[in-house]
Amino acid sequence: MTGPNRNLTLGSLRELGTVGLVAGLCGAYAAVLIMTSSILTTMSEASGGSVGLLLGIVAGVFILIALYVGTVVIVGAVDTVISGRLRHIALLRLLGSRGRELRTSVMRSTAAVGGMGAVAGIVLGTLLTHLVRMVLVARDTLPEAEYALGDVQLVVAFVAITLSAMIAGWFGSRGILRVSPAAALAGTAAYTPAPHRTSVIRALLAGIGIVGGLAVLLLGAVVGESNPGAGFLLAFVGAAGSGTGFLIGARFVIPRVVATLSSVLGRDPSSVVARRNALLDPLRTTRSTMGLVIGVALVTTFASGMSALRESITSWELDPAQRAQADQVYEVTTIILICIIVISAIIAAVGFVSTMSLTVIQRHREIGLLRSLGFTRRQVRSMITKESVALSASAVVFGAVLGIVYGTAGAQSLVGAETAGLVWGMPVGALVGIAVAGVVLVLVSSQRPARRAVAVSPVEALRIDA
Amino acid sequence: MSPMWRAAALGRLGTMTSTTFQHSPTQPVVSMRRVSKIYGEGTGRVAALDEIDVDIHRGGFTAIMGPSGSGKSTFMNVAAGLDDVTSGEVMLAGQPVTHLGDDARTLLRRSEVGFIFQAFNLVPTLSAHENILLPFELAGRRVSAEEGRWIEHLVGTLGLAERISHRPSELSGGQQQRVAIARALASRPAIIFADEPTGNLDSRSSREVLTLLRTAAREYGQTIAMVSHDPVAASYADRILVIADGHLVGDHGPLTPQEISDLLIGFEVGAA
Repeated sequence: MTGPNRNLTLGSLRELGTVGLVAGLCGAYAAVLIMTSSILTTMSEASGGSVGLLLGIVAGVFILIALYVGTVVIVGAVDTVISGRLRHIALLRLLGSRGRELRTSVMRSTAAVGGMGAVAGIVLGTLLTHLVRMVLVARDTLPEAEYALGDVQLVVAFVAITLSAMIAGWFGSRGILRVSPAAALAGTAAYTPAPHRTSVIRALLAGIGIVGGLAVLLLGAVVGESNPGAGFLLAFVGAAGSGTGFLIGARFVIPRVVATLSSVLGRDPSSVVARRNALLDPLRTTRSTMGLVIGVALVTTFASGMSALRESITSWELDPAQRAQADQVYEVTTIILICIIVISAIIAAVGFVSTMSLTVIQRHREIGLLRSLGFTRRQVRSMITKESVALSASAVVFGAVLGIVYGTAGAQSLVGAETAGLVWGMPVGALVGIAVAGVVLVLVSSQRPARRAVAVSPVEALRIDA
Repeated sequence: MSPMWRAAALGRLGTMTSTTFQHSPTQPVVSMRRVSKIYGEGTGRVAALDEIDVDIHRGGFTAIMGPSGSGKSTFMNVAAGLDDVTSGEVMLAGQPVTHLGDDARTLLRRSEVGFIFQAFNLVPTLSAHENILLPFELAGRRVSAEEGRWIEHLVGTLGLAERISHRPSELSGGQQQRVAIARALASRPAIIFADEPTGNLDSRSSREVLTLLRTAAREYGQTIAMVSHDPVAASYADRILVIADGHLVGDHGPLTPQEISDLLIGFEVGAA
């Protein structure tokens, strides 16, 4: 036993529930993709093809994306837990724990919880895939063959998820190092974000990535008019470049988007406090919404790209049989792609819901103060809901705008040569779906915290040891 | 206290009647009749307040004293309508708090009660100025020109003018407490409840805060009820209520810190 028990640093394991859930989702997702590609490989070996291998590579890319979003979410979840326990951590530091030991203990517990979640998810995903496989074989959709029950890659996925959870635990617990032992003696119970130095290098890199990437993306769309191959390559490079730029510079971009969009909430006290809370810590705002932005942007990119391609195709001169076939191919491809990609958005949503719940628990005392000063229960409830609206609406709108730009530019670079002008991919169905999902997300992420918040009695504000 | 403030304050006494607290001036601001607050049941039963009868009249500075666990904080929570009673009646600013629902009680607090707590008085995301204006914002009414001048005057007198746009985390403990006082005084509530307002302050800031409270009571006619276990703090009040084991055991006029100390030690020794 080195260093303090994890319960001392993080409190109950319930606080790490998000880590387990996210790891479980990643595990189930990875298992479904890996086993599907394993089944398809077996199948195509039987009929002599290489669909399985190609799917294997594609699956790897998608699993990495999900894992990345999962890691971002876990970093945010751990950071939220830590920032709610600063006084407690300060006490541990005062009693002689070293910051490094505390961080190691956090890392160990996120790895343990992440690993457990991953195992559960992988087992569940594998079982699910086999169940679907058996049904399909029984219905003669799939041929009878010697399908493998597992795959070595499942172990790789387990290791990758556990490692990600561990790394996320390390990054998420940076807050511990800023805690001064003396804070245990001070009376301030309010969460105050540590001042973050804005890195010039980070801003510069982000600027170059965003501006340069968008320029290359535009170039790709232009070149696509004459040379589709080169155009698509340029568009891909441009999208990757600007995407990376947005990731690096998210902490500069996202808080501004939230600030702009949340100013429409209103001027009454509950809106003002909600807006301020949404923006209290730019880094936390970024972390809790970045996953959502990525998820929504990916879904919209595919939906928008496919819709632009389809628009282009309908403008071509095809005979009815070809047209019907092309339509069907696009419909099926679009649905499969969106199903595969939507998991990142779901993982991000889980993280968002947990961040909202935790911040409300941590703000018990502030809510008690607001109640004693004359906030009615309704105003407290509306404050929590508005905060959730400010954050999720910003993420969804920003992600959707990015996705439409990427999807349209990508499609243009591919088929621009064969279509007159620029065809905007406006996937109305997908956008409506995303908007509905956004509303559901707001309701889900604010209902429980709001109920908890209105249950806070005004006397709460008077407690000295909150 | 600056002579300027005294002059301005005296000049303002005439406008104090513009408060929303409209019932007869002779009627007490807080009136408790046979109020009990019981926690737990059976052998774990604790009476934090046991059949308390007391009135707090307008314009006075009352200190509520007692050893830890005597029920003095419960007294304040119940008087301010923050907490329910087990039995008895509480009237606050002419309204029967014990019969009001949560929303009505919230609205009553908003318009008639000001609070100053030991710590964590201010909404962390709002600036000092926004914190002071919060009661007005909550009531959804604009600050009138006259109220604006009053707030400006308070901010100036309390020495907050230069820190007015800062967040609470950027203010010292004493400054935070002065912002809380400005907020409580700004809307001229029927009564201000202060719970150990100097508990977290150094002795100099404590003296400042207590002098401010006494001045507000004497010169603005502001009713103040302060919970404290500090004899020095209580010596600033002009009425001292002593609570022990849920009973009201003493009701005195102004006393010196030494007298209050002796009084409290007397109860401790008597209880032992």
